[in-house]
Amino acid sequence: MTTLRFPLSRIEGHARVEMEIQDGQVVKAQFQAIEMRGFRYFVQGTPAEQMPVITPRICGVCSTAHHVASVKALEDVFEVEPPELAKKIREILLLGQLIQNQATSLFIFTMPDRVGASSIFQMDNTEADPEQRLSLAQRALKVRQVGTHLITLAGGQFIHPVKAVIGGVTSGIKREGADEMLAELEEMLPVACELFDAYWEMSMSMKERIGTWGDDQPAYYIASTGQSRPELNSELIRVLGPDGVERASFRPHLFREYLDYQDTAYSYAGQTSYQGEVLRANSLARINLVNSMGTPCADGYLERLTSTFGKPAHPILLFDLCRGIELVYAFERTIEMLSNDLEYEDTAVPYKVKDGEGYGLVEAPRGPLIHHYTVRDGLIEDAEFIIPTVHNMLAIERALKVAGERYVTEEAISLELEKAVGRVVRAFDPCIACATQ
Amino acid sequence: MSEKQSLPSFAVLQLSGCAGCEVSLINASEWVEKYQLVYMPLVVSTHAIPDDTEILLVSGGVRNDEDVYNLKRAVEVVDRVIAVGTCAISGGVANLGDRDDVRELFMAQADRHHLPHLLPKSHPVDAFVDVDLYLPGCPPTPELFMAALTGPENFKASSTVCGECGRKKLKDMRPKHLVGFQQGEVLPDICLINQGYLCVGSSTRGGCRAICTRPGHPCVGCRGPSDAYIEKTSDVWFERIQQVFERMTDIPPEEIRDALHSPQLSLFLFQFTDYMNGDRPSRPKEKVL
Repeated sequence: MTTLRFPLSRIEGHARVEMEIQDGQVVKAQFQAIEMRGFRYFVQGTPAEQMPVITPRICGVCSTAHHVASVKALEDVFEVEPPELAKKIREILLLGQLIQNQATSLFIFTMPDRVGASSIFQMDNTEADPEQRLSLAQRALKVRQVGTHLITLAGGQFIHPVKAVIGGVTSGIKREGADEMLAELEEMLPVACELFDAYWEMSMSMKERIGTWGDDQPAYYIASTGQSRPELNSELIRVLGPDGVERASFRPHLFREYLDYQDTAYSYAGQTSYQGEVLRANSLARINLVNSMGTPCADGYLERLTSTFGKPAHPILLFDLCRGIELVYAFERTIEMLSNDLEYEDTAVPYKVKDGEGYGLVEAPRGPLIHHYTVRDGLIEDAEFIIPTVHNMLAIERALKVAGERYVTEEAISLELEKAVGRVVRAFDPCIACATQ
Repeated sequence: MSEKQSLPSFAVLQLSGCAGCEVSLINASEWVEKYQLVYMPLVVSTHAIPDDTEILLVSGGVRNDEDVYNLKRAVEVVDRVIAVGTCAISGGVANLGDRDDVRELFMAQADRHHLPHLLPKSHPVDAFVDVDLYLPGCPPTPELFMAALTGPENFKASSTVCGECGRKKLKDMRPKHLVGFQQGEVLPDICLINQGYLCVGSSTRGGCRAICTRPGHPCVGCRGPSDAYIEKTSDVWFERIQQVFERMTDIPPEEIRDALHSPQLSLFLFQFTDYMNGDRPSRPKEKVL
């Protein structure tokens, strides 16, 4: 038996893939998350009100999603309903997170795979258009910075936001700040589209070269999003079957009735399944679950995707293209939202700390994220973090095994295998810091 | 390519952390044209730090045996080591795990096959290797990253967060009690202490440009003590915060003391190793940006 171990890069956190090969067959593919800090344990005893400041530190990439999920979980415990303005500001925060994350995943994590480079910073010499004033890397970083600026505007601190609070937000967004942000969004939207077009082209060439968009079979999909258009700050989790028929729709406190969770000995992250079936979360799940993006450019790209691949679409490299569609959507949706007044008085309602149990749900860039807290004497008695990457674990391993079969024969293991492992894992954009906490 | 190779080189080693420091570094995109990034698994697929790399940035705490190994191996091949972020310097938020009441629970999870072995507690980077420069913050801002890379001596900042905040201190607004940690209503432009928040910006190191307090969240001290306190024990630092509250508010001193010393470390979650247990020597202020 041959055991191959692949270190992983251009993903968030520390993980590796181990593959066992026998007689030309991939007999096992394990995705191993190899770090853990123990958030679930050390937050026990913390004053509940501090969770929105502590939990963003679970992950510097997904911090905004944790910040908002944490506030929503505590609102569920304390039984308060934030005012409309607060909900809008939180949606803007989540849109900022989506821009930042999808730009990172597209341009920094996966674009180099399309041309065989080791990083976007090495792509400049081969890919930069001499007419362009800025290099490819600089344009990509500027697109991603729009997300950071938006998080700063709506959330205060730029990595670990502070402005969502139990009962609402600390302030609205002043017209002046909104206008400045709008100008940046308007300026950078065409750049985002241009980079995404280039990305789509590079993906087509890659498909020509490797001969597939991904060999894995269809799967179930899970996301917290709307039916007619995307919703990042909703209260429902939805599950779609491989045939495109919706199988379930439930509120976060019922997740145990629908999802099975198991630990493994080889990873600090567990695995979820839906009634024994392999689940997929993240961009492709959201796109498969929503009828339209509701914004013009994003709908154009969606149309292009569905006319080529149908709906639901299953090949895993489409996760990457779906991220681009969402990047464009997030720009357009934010422009829509910031054009309206976001500065009225009523930013938060008062609350009293009380004991009980609560759930907070948001759609993070990687899928539905739930914070579940039990509060006693104002302190956290137990905290559970239900992480989207964990929903993808079985799907990642299955896809790795299937991809492996393309490159392994009785005679030889192709060098392309290592690249395939990278492409498969990055398509799911796993977050190890979150998955293990 | 040859032009790029002559640029100063740096590597980024991420130990057990959240990658927030790395994300902040990516936001500081000015380095792209000035430096050659030779190793940073988050964004570059290179699996080892090349020999003769000039600068090593280390983020995250030392949480497992693989962290120790990777750290020791990395410093061998670089000229200069910069510890980045509160986890690498003080244990950070993950160091809340260093408490007897949760350690047992935590360590019960530690013994898994095929996985790096977790250490009984999280350690700062300088428990294992010499550090040339400390860059505290959770995370440090892009501006601070650029200053650390290009020349800390030219970086201008107030000594405290308070000095960079710009909220007005009022003489006649004296709260009688601390308000909850995070009650929604925050008055604009008025000092958060006047509003009863346990803000520690008066003695926390400046340089972050008060990015939390200006939008209305009390400073939680992620950059650690200012130069005036960094070489002293935690008692001196706490005493100073206590004095600020006594001067500006009518909150009973015990209430402040309890909040500052609460076992779950109310706001000092970022400084636990250094300032609650006090078993590490202080860092010389010349080495802290």
